[in-house]
Amino acid sequence: MVDADKTSLVARLRASIGVAGRPFVARDAVNQPMIRHWCDAMADHNPVYTDPDFATKSAHGGIVAPPAMLNAWTMSGLGRPQSDSDDAAGSVYAALDEAGYTSVVATNSEHEYLRYLRPGDELTAVQVVSEVSDEKTTALGTGLFVTTRTEYRTQADELVGHMLFRILKFKPGTGRAAQPDSEEAQPAQRMRRPRPGISRDTRFFWDGLEAGELRIQRCEGCSALHHPPMVRCPACGSYDLGYQVSTGRGVVYSFVEPCHPRIPAFDYPYVVGLIELEEGTRLITNVVDIDPDKVEVGMPVELTMQKPDPELTLPMFRPRCPRRRETTLRFEEVAVGAELAPCPIPISRTLIVAAAIASRDYQDVHHDPALAVERGSPDIFMNILTTSGLCARYVSDWAGPDALLRKLSIRLGAPNYPGDTMTMWGSVLSATNQGGRGQVELALRGYNHIGDHVTGTVELELPSGGGEK
Amino acid sequence: MSMSFAGETAIVGIGATEFSKCSGRSTLRLAVECSDAAIQDAGLLPEQIDGMVLFTVEDNHEIDVARSLGIKELKHFSRIHHSGGAACGTIHQAAMAVHSGACDYCLVFRAFNERSEMRYGAGVQDRAPAPTPMEVDFGWSSPFGLLTPAAWVAMFATRYMHEYGATSEDFGRVAVACRRHAANNPAAFFYQKPITLEEHQQSRWIVKPLHLFDCCQESDGGQAMVVTTLERARDLPQPTAVIAAAAQGSGEDQQMMKSYYRDNISGIPEMGLCARQLWEDSGLRPDDIQTAVLYDHFTPLVLPQLEEFGFCPRGEAKNFILDGNIELGGRLPINTHGGQLGEAYIHGVNGIAEGVRQVRGSSVNQVKDMQNVLVTAATAVPTSALILSRDAH
Ligand SMILES: [Zn+2]
Repeated sequence: MVDADKTSLVARLRASIGVAGRPFVARDAVNQPMIRHWCDAMADHNPVYTDPDFATKSAHGGIVAPPAMLNAWTMSGLGRPQSDSDDAAGSVYAALDEAGYTSVVATNSEHEYLRYLRPGDELTAVQVVSEVSDEKTTALGTGLFVTTRTEYRTQADELVGHMLFRILKFKPGTGRAAQPDSEEAQPAQRMRRPRPGISRDTRFFWDGLEAGELRIQRCEGCSALHHPPMVRCPACGSYDLGYQVSTGRGVVYSFVEPCHPRIPAFDYPYVVGLIELEEGTRLITNVVDIDPDKVEVGMPVELTMQKPDPELTLPMFRPRCPRRRETTLRFEEVAVGAELAPCPIPISRTLIVAAAIASRDYQDVHHDPALAVERGSPDIFMNILTTSGLCARYVSDWAGPDALLRKLSIRLGAPNYPGDTMTMWGSVLSATNQGGRGQVELALRGYNHIGDHVTGTVELELPSGGGEK
Repeated sequence: MSMSFAGETAIVGIGATEFSKCSGRSTLRLAVECSDAAIQDAGLLPEQIDGMVLFTVEDNHEIDVARSLGIKELKHFSRIHHSGGAACGTIHQAAMAVHSGACDYCLVFRAFNERSEMRYGAGVQDRAPAPTPMEVDFGWSSPFGLLTPAAWVAMFATRYMHEYGATSEDFGRVAVACRRHAANNPAAFFYQKPITLEEHQQSRWIVKPLHLFDCCQESDGGQAMVVTTLERARDLPQPTAVIAAAAQGSGEDQQMMKSYYRDNISGIPEMGLCARQLWEDSGLRPDDIQTAVLYDHFTPLVLPQLEEFGFCPRGEAKNFILDGNIELGGRLPINTHGGQLGEAYIHGVNGIAEGVRQVRGSSVNQVKDMQNVLVTAATAVPTSALILSRDAH
């Protein structure tokens, strides 16, 4: 396309800015089954979404929908167009498809929740195109960003939420991801990690790893545990030494981050940790799925078996996800600058597909690997509603069941592909008390092994003052 | 019960090659040169040398060195294990040998091209697996990328920082002091090249939490000395450096560089064992020591050494250092030759030579009213230590 054509295309698209689209009425009222599917997919166990008894006694007075579901209710469903081509936004997307920008990724989502939705709420969404960018060259390909704003109202015409949404419409095959990567193309030539020396006395440990077990030598005479293994129990003198399988839970006792000299067998940065297991023994291992700068002595970790190459299985450790708070954090307990404990979320194919469907997003790139490749992606990847859902879960698990999310603004970066792990992290940006309501703003970050998948902010309200609920 | 040789033997000669990054000579040549110098310094002839104690990791053979030096007959020869942990152990062994009569004049040396030929800092890489004890030991750490001496020591450092609130700057003050002392020492590689604490903090990471300036140099060079009985020493030309006490130590659940499985890893029990023996054998106390050469392959483990010997309470070495105690003019100037951070990394044997110079009164950074100097060998391995004293005779 020559420049003049591009200019006229952009001008044509921009004619749609500010024009209200046709109201889109949700196919189903807010309902428990869809809530349950969503909560299952996101592993969101906040009982205000699914436990009527708990919900009745909560600040909500009854079951509510996870706030991040806001735009899931008005998704069109399988085999039905999300927007009509004669609608304002629909016509923009159709024109871009026609001009060859057929691929789509969501890049930004900003939710504002005026109140939590309850079963029975029937939503109507009205979408307005608010911005169309010039053509941009991005890592994914050449394309244009289209920003829309959507208002959500109930059957009583009550305004319950807003969403700002930005997508990139791009030409498949024009991005860096689609180009063959010379380094990626030769993984076989990569130097392998040093192999362990294995003796008769230590083979049980390495065999255990192949069997998916972290084994600790145990004296059959006195039950004392030993690591590294011995040949005779110094406690009781027994030569009868077996093993027990570790729970895989422990804490970081110490750690280092090797920087120089660089050994080709390792991806930098990496952390070597000395882990003290629950059982009391220690072992040297790698601490993975966490920004090295966030590793701390005392950090709770859990076992994750890893295969750095097909012939080597090693026990590694990642941060243990913090437990969901069962009582709600009070505003007074929040300190500006405090950090939320990191929470690694394994990105399984099941999570990507189940959560896409729970959010009624049937775009092929979220469930069909072959079509995803055809569209210039190496594999299927997580949709933005899932990212919103996981961010909301991370925050509400930290804050407790009665915390109210008011705003969730996220920006997507590196895609979440199957097999990766996304580690969530957050910190308190501000905390102000406004008329007895504790307003807290958090910075959020979710990073995988490519980079930052999501960055953003969350605003929430916490109960404040003299002990009442 | 004190060891019978305590106070009964002495170091009578010291000699060294220049310290460099590329000697341009074979390690045998370095060994012979430094030994030659030490024998001459002692006022002896090579044929009077009849014993030799070396590190197990010393590449040169006793017999090759003997041939070139013109040593005729050797009646005692033995080796001490565990790399730099052997440093004072060689003197300990030599002292026992001359005191027992196994030999009369015992030569000790360490010579290598550690920078230009075989670098320890490169660590353990790409080893082929074999069921040898060493490979089995490395199997617990190497697959995870814990591969270099700096990394092994850094693991202790992180824990020490956590338990006692020490910081990288506290480690840095050790480096700054050593480099300041080296700046006055023409034999030091870093002669006239002091560093500031800020430069330490700016130096690149080797293994977090260790900066480049927390790590000793890699050096080429050789250092030798001669040990004999106190009685013979008194007939020789140099002021006598009496071996008031010398000891080795290996602690409970000791491992090579990675004793990470003990209840507590913020102390150095094997050095504590050396300290107990030295105080008992010499009858001295920390207050009787005017200066110390504390093994400084990496700065963090200098702190718990101060604690193990009782120069300050456990966990308070950072304050002891902050108050200027380890500097010239302070309570306990350390590594007055510049240490292995500033002078050269000769596996701690050059530190013993500095101890001898302090006793003789010939150090470039001579400590006033010097009576007794403490010298230690490598930390994180089975180790050794000694006290040298002026001859009251
Ligand atoms: Zn037992």
